[in-house]
Amino acid sequence: MKDLKYLIEFENLLENADNELVKKAQSEGDLAIGYTCYHMPEVLLNLGNCFSVRLRAPRSSSIDIATYYMSNYTCEYCRSLLERAIEGGYQFLDGIAGVDACSAMNRCYEHFEILKCCEKPDFFITHCDIPYKIESYTVDQMEIQMRLRLLDVLKERYGVDTSDEALLKAVEEHNEVCRIMTEIGDLRKLPNPPVTGYEYHVLSLVSYCCPKRLILPYLRETLEEIRHREPDEKSPFRARVVVVGSEIDDLDFTRLLEDAGAMVVADRYCYGSKPGREEIKIDPNENILRQIVLHYMKTSECARYMSEEKVQQRRDTADRLAREYSADGIIYEQMKFCDFWGFERPLASHILAEEYGWPVLSIDRPYNVRNSGQLRTRFQAFVEALEIKRIHGGKEVQGG
Amino acid sequence: MKYPDPKLFRMKDHMNLKLQAENLKEVGGIIADMLKETDWKEVGKDAAGDAKAFYKRVSYEASLLGKMSPAEVKDLILNGEKQLGKLYRNGKMATVRREWRGLKDTGADFYEWARMWAMLLATFSKDLIPSLNGALHYRWMISYFCCHSFMDKNTLGLRGKALKMHHELIYAIFRYVAENLVLLMKADEKGGNSTDLSKKIVLLDEMTMAQIMAGFPDLAGIPYQLMPVFLLSEIDQLACMPYIDAVESYGLPSDTCPVPTSECGACVVDALPHMGACFISSSMPCDGSVMASSYTSRRFKDLPTFHLAFPVRYEDESIMDAAVEDIKACIRFIEEQTGAKWSWDAYFAAMKRFNEETKYELEKWEVNQTPYPQLIGPCYELFRKWNYEMDGGLDPRILKTFSKVDRLMKAAYENREEPWRGKMRHRAIVWSVPAHYYANFSNWLANCWGINVLVEMESLNFTKPLETEDKEEALRDMARLYERMVMRRHTNGGYDHVLTELFRQVEIWKPDIVIMYQHVSCKNMSTLNGLFDEQAREHGVRLIWIEHDLMDPRTVSRKDMRSKVNEYMRTVMREEPLDPSLVDFEDDASW
Repeated sequence: MKDLKYLIEFENLLENADNELVKKAQSEGDLAIGYTCYHMPEVLLNLGNCFSVRLRAPRSSSIDIATYYMSNYTCEYCRSLLERAIEGGYQFLDGIAGVDACSAMNRCYEHFEILKCCEKPDFFITHCDIPYKIESYTVDQMEIQMRLRLLDVLKERYGVDTSDEALLKAVEEHNEVCRIMTEIGDLRKLPNPPVTGYEYHVLSLVSYCCPKRLILPYLRETLEEIRHREPDEKSPFRARVVVVGSEIDDLDFTRLLEDAGAMVVADRYCYGSKPGREEIKIDPNENILRQIVLHYMKTSECARYMSEEKVQQRRDTADRLAREYSADGIIYEQMKFCDFWGFERPLASHILAEEYGWPVLSIDRPYNVRNSGQLRTRFQAFVEALEIKRIHGGKEVQGG
Repeated sequence: MKYPDPKLFRMKDHMNLKLQAENLKEVGGIIADMLKETDWKEVGKDAAGDAKAFYKRVSYEASLLGKMSPAEVKDLILNGEKQLGKLYRNGKMATVRREWRGLKDTGADFYEWARMWAMLLATFSKDLIPSLNGALHYRWMISYFCCHSFMDKNTLGLRGKALKMHHELIYAIFRYVAENLVLLMKADEKGGNSTDLSKKIVLLDEMTMAQIMAGFPDLAGIPYQLMPVFLLSEIDQLACMPYIDAVESYGLPSDTCPVPTSECGACVVDALPHMGACFISSSMPCDGSVMASSYTSRRFKDLPTFHLAFPVRYEDESIMDAAVEDIKACIRFIEEQTGAKWSWDAYFAAMKRFNEETKYELEKWEVNQTPYPQLIGPCYELFRKWNYEMDGGLDPRILKTFSKVDRLMKAAYENREEPWRGKMRHRAIVWSVPAHYYANFSNWLANCWGINVLVEMESLNFTKPLETEDKEEALRDMARLYERMVMRRHTNGGYDHVLTELFRQVEIWKPDIVIMYQHVSCKNMSTLNGLFDEQAREHGVRLIWIEHDLMDPRTVSRKDMRSKVNEYMRTVMREEPLDPSLVDFEDDASW
C-alpha cells in the first residue's frame, strides 16, 4: 500500500507531548489542559480556548528518579510521566484535569504538585472523584465533580466559557473527530483493509494528543485519502486480532504485533478508539453536562467499574468487537503493575476463552515495549496458533 | 437481647450426610496416602532430634540457673525470664515452651489460657458437628487450633496489668471469632447446611465495617473473608500461601497485594464457605479490593451482591450525597434479600455504645501520649482495628471489656508501670501498612530493642461521635465513618492523610523513632517512598524502613524484617540489644 501522506508528520507529532500543533495553538492564545484517563470527559477539556492533551511520555528511557519517588513496583506509565514531568517535559501545560481513578496515577499527579513540576502561575491540578458504578446518584456525583472541580476552575482561573452553548460547540467538534475516526476504523472490518492497525494507532493518538481544531484538517484529508486508497492485492497479515486491556500509547507495541503477522483490527484499550471515538448524542433540551458525563460513564470499559453489569459489558464488548471485526483471536493485555487490569486480565482471559470460545493471548507488558524479544516470541506463537486453528477448520482453540 | 442472638445457634441443620461421607472417605484416603508415603525412619530421626534438643535446652537452662546469683534466681522466680529467643527452635511451628513470667504473672497467664480454652469449648459446643465437618472440608480451620499460640506470642514479655489488659482484649476478639466460626460452619452447605440460618446471614466483603448491620438486629453480618483469609494469616502467616500460589497459577501477576490476592485464591481453591442471603462487596479500601469482588461474584453466582462503593476523596463533602444514597441503597438491598426491616432504634443503641467505646479509645491515646504509655502492643492494635471495623458497637459485652481495661490502664498509669518492665528505651509510632501480627513485630521491638510502639497509623481513624438522633445526619455520619475505614488512610483521599499526617502525629506523640513499614506490593504507599524520605529528613524524623509483604513471607521473611532494625540500631543508634537472644533466631516455620 502507498504510504499515507501525513504518516511521518503524525509520527513526528507523537515524538513529544508539546508537539508542533500544541505549540502553535498556545502561541495563538489557547490553553493546554493535560489529562490521562477516559474517566475525564475529553470533550470538557475542549471548551472555549482550551484544548486537551492526553499525556504520554514518548521515547522514555531511564525512569530512575521517578522510581526513587514511586518505587519500582508501580505502574511504569505513571513513573514515566513523572520522570518526564521532573525533566520539565510538561511545563507547557496550563492545567491537568485529573481523576482519582487509580492510585498510581493519583500519586503521579500529587508528585507533580509537590515537586512543582509545572510552574505556570495559574497552573492547576484537579482531583475529580469518579464513581465505581452507574446509578442516578453516581451520575449526580460525576456531574457535581465535573462542575466543581473542572468547569468552575477553568472559569475562575482562565475565564473559560463553560456555558451550555460552549459545551454543545465542543461536542460538535468532538463528534466530527469521532465520525472521521469511526469511518476509518470501520474500514478494518474489510477482509483486506486499506489501513493498518499501526496507522490507525497513529491516527488515534494524534487525535488525542493534538488540539482538535488544528488536527481536524489533517484527519479530514487522511480520511479522504484512505477512502480511495488501494490495499495490496493480498493482505500481508496472517491473522486478525482485537487488542483489549489497559493503556497503550506505545506505537512500538502495535508495530511489534503487526510485524509478527497479526493485524490489530480493533483497539479496545485506553488511548484506543473503543471507547473514545463514539459520537456523543445530545438532546439540547436536557441537562447537557449530565448527558456528557453519562455518555462517558456508559461507554467506559475501565476495569475500575465494579458493578455486575459493567463487568459483563467488558466481556461482551470484547466478544462483540472480535465478531464485528472478524478477528481470529483476542490479545488481552495489561500494563505491568496495574492493579485494576492485573486482576481483570486473568479472569477475563479465561472467560473469553472458555465461555466465549475465543483464542486468547494474555500478556502483561512494560510501558515501552521497545523491541521486546519475549513479547515478539509470544506474538509469533499466537499467530501460528491462530493459523493452525484455521487450517484445522476452527476445531482447535489454542489459548495463550 | 443477648448478643449474638441465641436463636441463630439453635436453627436446624440440614447436614448433607452423603457429602460428609464422601468427604470423610477423601480425607481418610489422604491420611492413608500420607501414612503410606511417610518415611518413618525420618520421623524417628526427627523425634530423636527433638528429644536431643529438649535435653540440650533443659541442660542449658539448668546451667544458666546454676550460674545465677541468689538475687538473680529470686528475680527469675518473681519477675520471669529475660532471654526470650531461646523459646524458638529452628524449623518448629510452636515455641519450645511457654514463657515463664514470674510466679504471679504466670499464674495470671495460665488462668487466661484456661479461660480461653473454656470459652472456645463452650462456644463450639453450641453446634459442634458442623464445625468438625468444616475442619475436614477447609484446611484453614485447622490453623485456628493454634489460636493459643497467637495469644502467647502477642503477649510475650508482658507483665502485670499490661498482661491482663492484653488478655482481656484478645479474649474478646477470639470470642467473636469462635462465635462466627460456629455460625459460618453451621450455615455452610458443606457443614451444617442450615438454610434457615443462611437466610439470616449477610456476608460482608473483606474489611467492610459492621455498623450497617446494627440496624438489622435479627440478622448476622459476617466478614466473609476474615476467617478463611485475613485473620487466619495473622494467626498463621504460612496459611495463605496456597491461595496465593493458586491464583498466580491462574494468571494473576505476582506484584499484587497478598490480601486481595489471597481472597481471589481462596475462591480458586474453593476455600470460602457457600452460604448467606447476600454479599455486600466493597470498593474499599484499595484498587485491589475493588477487583477482588469480581472473583467472589464469579465463584458464587447465586449469591446476590451489592457493591458498596464510596467516594475516594473523603474529605470532600460535596460528594457526601452519593455516599449516603449508596448506604440507603445498600439497606434497601439487605431488606429485599432477607425480608428484615431496618431498625433505627437498634442502630442508634449500637452507635451510642460505639461512641462510648470511642471515648475510651481516646483516653488510651491520651495516656499513651504521656511519658508513661500503658496500653501498647499487638493485642491493643488488633483490638482497636477489630472494634472499629468488625464489632462497631454491636456487641454490648465489648463495652464491659473497655471499662475493665480502662480501670486497669488508669491504675497502671497511677503506678507509672511499664508494659515491658524496664525495657522502655525508645518511643515509636508505626506508619504505613502494618505487619505486626504476621511478624509479632511490635512485641519483638519492645523485647529486643526497647522500642515501644505507642500507636500505629491504622488506629488513628475516625473519632467523631456518630449522630444518634437525626436519621439523615446519622446516615451522613455512617458514610463519613465508612469512608475512613481501616487501610483507607493510605489508599484514598490524597497524600495529606498519610504523608503530611505523619509529621502532624509525630508532633503529638513525640516518638524518637518511626517504624516505617514498606509493604512492597502496596502501590498506594510505595508511590510515596521518596517523599517520605525527603520530608522525614527535613523534619528531622528517624524512619526505620522495614520491607514486608504481609501474609507472603517468601517475599520478605520475618528474619529479614528484624535484621533491618538490628542494622539500624547498631549502626545508626550505636546501641546494644536488651535481649541479645532475640537478635538472630529462626522462626520461618513458626506460627
